[in-house]
Parts: sequence; structure tokens; C-alpha cells
Amino acid sequence: MHHMFGYVTPCKMELKIKDYEKFKSYYCGLCREIKKSYGNIPRITLNYDMTFLSILLDSLSLGRTTYKTGICLVHPNKKRTYIHNSNAIEYAAFCNVILAYYKLKDDKQDNKSIKSYFYSNLIGFYINKGNKSFSYVAEYIEKRLTDLYNLEKNNNNLSIDELSDPFSQITGFILSSYIDFIQVSSKERTKQNLFNLGYNLGKWIYIIDAYDDLYEDMKKNKFNPLEKAYNVNKLNFNAFRPEIADNVDFILTNCASSCLENLDKLPITKNEDLLQNILQLGLMEKMNTVYKRSEQNEKSI
Amino acid sequence: MRNPYEVIGVKEGSSKEEIKRAYREQAKKYHPDQYNNNPLKDLAEEKMVELNEAYDILMNNNGSSYRSSEDYNGYSDYNSIRMDIQNGNIKNAENSLNNISSKTAEWNFLMGMVQLKKGWYDSANNYLTTACSMDPVNREYKEALNAISRRNTAYRQPYNNRNYGNNDMCDLCVKLWCADSLCECFGGDLIPC
Repeated sequence: MHHMFGYVTPCKMELKIKDYEKFKSYYCGLCREIKKSYGNIPRITLNYDMTFLSILLDSLSLGRTTYKTGICLVHPNKKRTYIHNSNAIEYAAFCNVILAYYKLKDDKQDNKSIKSYFYSNLIGFYINKGNKSFSYVAEYIEKRLTDLYNLEKNNNNLSIDELSDPFSQITGFILSSYIDFIQVSSKERTKQNLFNLGYNLGKWIYIIDAYDDLYEDMKKNKFNPLEKAYNVNKLNFNAFRPEIADNVDFILTNCASSCLENLDKLPITKNEDLLQNILQLGLMEKMNTVYKRSEQNEKSI
Repeated sequence: MRNPYEVIGVKEGSSKEEIKRAYREQAKKYHPDQYNNNPLKDLAEEKMVELNEAYDILMNNNGSSYRSSEDYNGYSDYNSIRMDIQNGNIKNAENSLNNISSKTAEWNFLMGMVQLKKGWYDSANNYLTTACSMDPVNREYKEALNAISRRNTAYRQPYNNRNYGNNDMCDLCVKLWCADSLCECFGGDLIPC
């Protein structure tokens, strides 16, 4: 497993100022929630993908959003606006900390570095402080991550669709399980649409991350899902990357457009422009950035 | 579906060679290329699809004897699989497909649609491409691939229209500015300023 996080962001140039401020308030709200529920240390795991999660899930709840302003440790000079008292943010904070914990635990198995050992134990300690009603989500995540770990260690030929399935299932599960905690119209259909959105987004994240890391992974001889799925002839990076570029673009674009299609089917009550921006322009922008970066890696060799 | 032997026009139990010969004759008759701008074109294409299906069934049937029960079941399976896909019973459809041993063009097409619904786009692309190459005149198979690429183009458009992807706008400005400076050197003026 890689960094895997932080790819789902708005396309800033196309964002209205009010939506930019809104995005920041969710980000700060999430950061504060992590501190409140889990303590100061797990705050370092905060990421943009989980900010998107909290915006999306909060858009499904009927209650009004309450904003507050305050000073925080990270930005002591300026008062910041943040979102207060949102179930979605509480849930996203939980998912953020849980995913970061398993990620670190996985790093510990892979690299045996002191840093990941230290953090995984530390954050493991903090996890028990969270909301107990979410614990079945944590159990599910752990099961699927074990599947992923076993798949990645498996010596058989596996397609990229098979390899990306466990992580996609996790994201689908995280998004759709939130429905169990709120009141929403036509529950079953909404749950299915949320699952589909999450499945496609998780797959998008898994594959764009693998493509982004391909150069480093091949240099360091580390596991990479794309290499495992496609590099049957054991080509070097220079020969291999152009060969899969179209495949990667095909999959990522399919995932991204499915995300947008499923968003349109959800009973969204707010934040519509912001969510549209992220899933339409933000994902495309990230794809282009990553494509350019990997082409440059090729030139630099 | 009609009895595939009838479609191709040979007796039951005919050898593979006989089937091949008869198939070629029929294919010549119905090949859509002969029907350009002809009102019969659609009908010819339908005939061609039927012919190809029948041919697939008979040729994939190892040994020349036609085991009618298996193949007719195979066909009615395809119909119920189509129903499953339409109704969203993707797991059912996938299981049924995995139980069919002869991988015809239709099989590849349906498997491609199942993978597409699952979000397994790479596999979907492979199966659909195989279906198209096994049966190049089938419009439904081709249309499935076209629909995917149309959807992707539509998704990319709003971002690409904003011109972040390339530096064309920027390029244009720089070129104009260079041209203008150059012209001014020689006493002319491209852009009056």
C-alpha cells in the first residue's frame, strides 16, 4: 500500500470564493473533530480525501450547517471558520483515523521503519477513544485490508480490476454505511448509489496512486499494482509506462465519470457546486497533473 | 432462436467442412457491404448476425454432431442472462456465464456488460473487444464500445474546454506578442498599441 491519500481535491481555479471558504471550513472542522475525539497526535493524519467524504455525507443530512470561528494550534495567527456539530464530520474523522492507523500498521510490516512503528502504536492507542457505534466499520475495513494484503503478496497473475477490488470495496462500504446513521429518503437506492460512487472513487484513488508512484516503486523494486497486473515482459519504466498510459487513462476516466453519474442520483441538499467541482474538474485536473509528472520521470532517466 | 442448422442451411449432423462451405455461401448473400444505400441493408445485417451466431454455435461444438439440448439451453441461458443484467442481478449473470463452456461472441459481449456494471472497466474492455473481433458486423457489440468512449469524451469535455490541458491560449498570446514586436521593428504594427 502507498500513501493513497490526498488526491480528491477541488479544482481551485474554477471554484467560487464561497465554495473555497466552505471547503476550508470542512477541512478545519474535520481537524478539530479529530482532536476532540482522538486527541492531538492523530491530527497529523488529516487528509483531503476525508474532507471530501465529510462534505459529501454532510450534504445528505437535512439539518442546517453551523459555522463557528476560532483559533487553532496549526494556524495561531488567524481566526478560522470551521463547521461545528456535524455527524458527517464525526464519521469522517473516525474513518480518517482508522484508515491512517491500518496504513501505518501496513507500513510497519513492509518497511519495519521506526517511524511507522512508533506512529501505528501511538494511533492504535488513540483509536479506542472514538465513537463505539462505528466499530463495525473498523472491523470491515480490517478484513478487506487483509484481503488486499494477501492479494498483493499473491504470486498468481491478477488483473488490475482484481487487485483494486478490496480497496474499492472499502471505500464503497465507508460511504454507504453512513446511511445507517441518518434519516434519508429512499434509503436502499441511496445506499446503492453511495456504494457505487465510493467503489469508483476508491478504485480511482488506488490506480492514480499506483501510477503516480510507478517510477519510484520500479526504481526501488517495490510492489506496484500496475506493474503486477501489466508488466508481464518485465520491461523497464521507460518502455513500460507508455505501454499502459492509455489503459490507465481509460480506467481512471471511467471511474471518474461513474462517480459524477452517481452523485447526480443522490438526494443532495447542499454543497452541490462544490461537489460537482471536485468530481468533475478536480479529478480531471489531478489526472492531468499525474500524467505530466510521470512523463517527466521518463525524460529524466 | 431457430435451429442453427436451418439458419445455415445444412442437414443436422453435417461435417465442419460442409457447415463452413454453406456458411460462406450464405454470408456472401447477406453481407451488408452489398446493400449500401439499399433499404434491405438492415434486414441483411440482422440475417448476418443470426448467421454468425448459428455458425459460432456449430463450430464451437466439438465434434460434428449437434448436441441440440446443450446448445438450445445455451441460447435460452443467454436470454435469461440478459434479463439478469437488465435487472441489476449482476452476480447471477456472472455465475451463469461462468457455467457456459463455449465462449461465443455473445458470451464475450455479455461478460463484458457484466464487468462494466461491476466497475471492472479493464476486463469489460477486453471482453467487448473480443466480442467485436469475433463478430465484426454485430452492431450491438460495436455500440457498447462506442457508448463507453462517448461517455468518457463527454466527461473530459468541461475540463478540456477550459484549456488547462494544453497551453494553446498562452502560446497564441506569446506568438501574437512576438509577431507584434517583430512587425513594430520593421515599422508596421500588427496590434495597435
